[in-house]
Amino acid sequence: MMQLNAMAVLFKSLMGDVSGADIGKSFELMGKGMLGIFIVMILIYAVIVILNKTSGTNKDTK
Amino acid sequence: MSEFSFLTNGIQYMAQNPKMLVMWVIGALLIWLAIEKDFEPALLLPMGFGAILVNLPLPGVVGESGIVKWLFEKGIVASEAFPLLLFVGIGAMIDFGPLLSNPRMLLFGGAAQFGIFLTVVLAVLLGFPLKDAMAAGVIGAADGPTSILVSQVLHSNYIGAIAVAAYSYMALVPIIQPAAIRLVTTKHERMIHMPYNPKAVSKTTKILFPIIVTLIAGLVAPDSVALVGFLMFGNLIRECGKLEALSQTAQGPLANLITIFLGITIAYQMRAEQFLTLGTLIIMALGLFAFVFDTIGGVVFAKIVNLFLPKDKKINPMVGGAGISAFPMSARVIQKMALKEDNQNHILMHAVGANVAGQIGSVVAGGIILNLARIWGMI
Repeated sequence: MMQLNAMAVLFKSLMGDVSGADIGKSFELMGKGMLGIFIVMILIYAVIVILNKTSGTNKDTK
Repeated sequence: MSEFSFLTNGIQYMAQNPKMLVMWVIGALLIWLAIEKDFEPALLLPMGFGAILVNLPLPGVVGESGIVKWLFEKGIVASEAFPLLLFVGIGAMIDFGPLLSNPRMLLFGGAAQFGIFLTVVLAVLLGFPLKDAMAAGVIGAADGPTSILVSQVLHSNYIGAIAVAAYSYMALVPIIQPAAIRLVTTKHERMIHMPYNPKAVSKTTKILFPIIVTLIAGLVAPDSVALVGFLMFGNLIRECGKLEALSQTAQGPLANLITIFLGITIAYQMRAEQFLTLGTLIIMALGLFAFVFDTIGGVVFAKIVNLFLPKDKKINPMVGGAGISAFPMSARVIQKMALKEDNQNHILMHAVGANVAGQIGSVVAGGIILNLARIWGMI
């Protein structure tokens, strides 16, 4: 029943019908997308910090 | 006289298809913007000429054996080869040094992707199907090849409009970003000084960085691995120190060749019946929205970070705005704004760090969108 409600057309907009399911997925995309990007960025951040600490010799300063 | 009717067939065809004439005007406008206004001329000029080329009567270049159709099917639809190969060149052009010596800038490259996802929500509320909404959002990646690749993989109906919007707004970064930044910052915030004390970066770090980033992207967001992998492959060629000739080729001839054909190939999606729709106009507006809110996302994130930093370590929030991936234009714009507020305020290298982080952030964002689309059974 919940699934059916989510699939239902909520209102008609400029470009067509807007469904609850699509709105829900767009917000899910926002949450998971931003979280995913920050996870990847933090992982890369950690890798850079480790690399900078462990490869101290052979400096090529910029 | 009727023996010569073949000479007038084309004119009759155009008279019956006036929308094609409108596309000629749009093509001419893009060429004018490229030449007179210097708006991303390498892409907008081929796209402008292509818009005219694909809106000529009869089969022309878009018929069954038309060259533009063939280029589109082989270079974009079948393999996404053009945008990916261009990424090798872009990777070879980028010096990640400022980011490697100041890695906290990575966070701004993440925060400044916020506009992408906000735009998807807005596009859905405007009634676009989810796949087109997701493709429209990626205009905010401020990264033409990523926008083209994602919209193609999602089979969006608006790939032409998305490419035009992505490249046009990238050229308009010097106008869009200052307005958006002034909207959410005070003069005092824009005058914050940031000392630049770069840490030494070893050659080993520079070589391992592209390899490890590819591994992380492949494990965490597998759909981003083609984009990230080709970007990082180009960067590895640059940084390894043994392939100078290949690095120069990737930065120059390879990137130039792909650019020539990418623009004219994308024009295949600028056929009048496909391009002249209300949807195209709204996609252009959504692209602008995405750029503005990407910038605001980065700036607001910097302001939030500042709440937790001591007074002498505050970040100039404009640096957050450089987290969009329009490289290097965005970093230059931020530096120009900083100097305008205070002629002794030099934040260029911080902005460059955030800007190259934005390049990584935008391809990861594109990959995550494709990942979720795959999980939801859309592709």
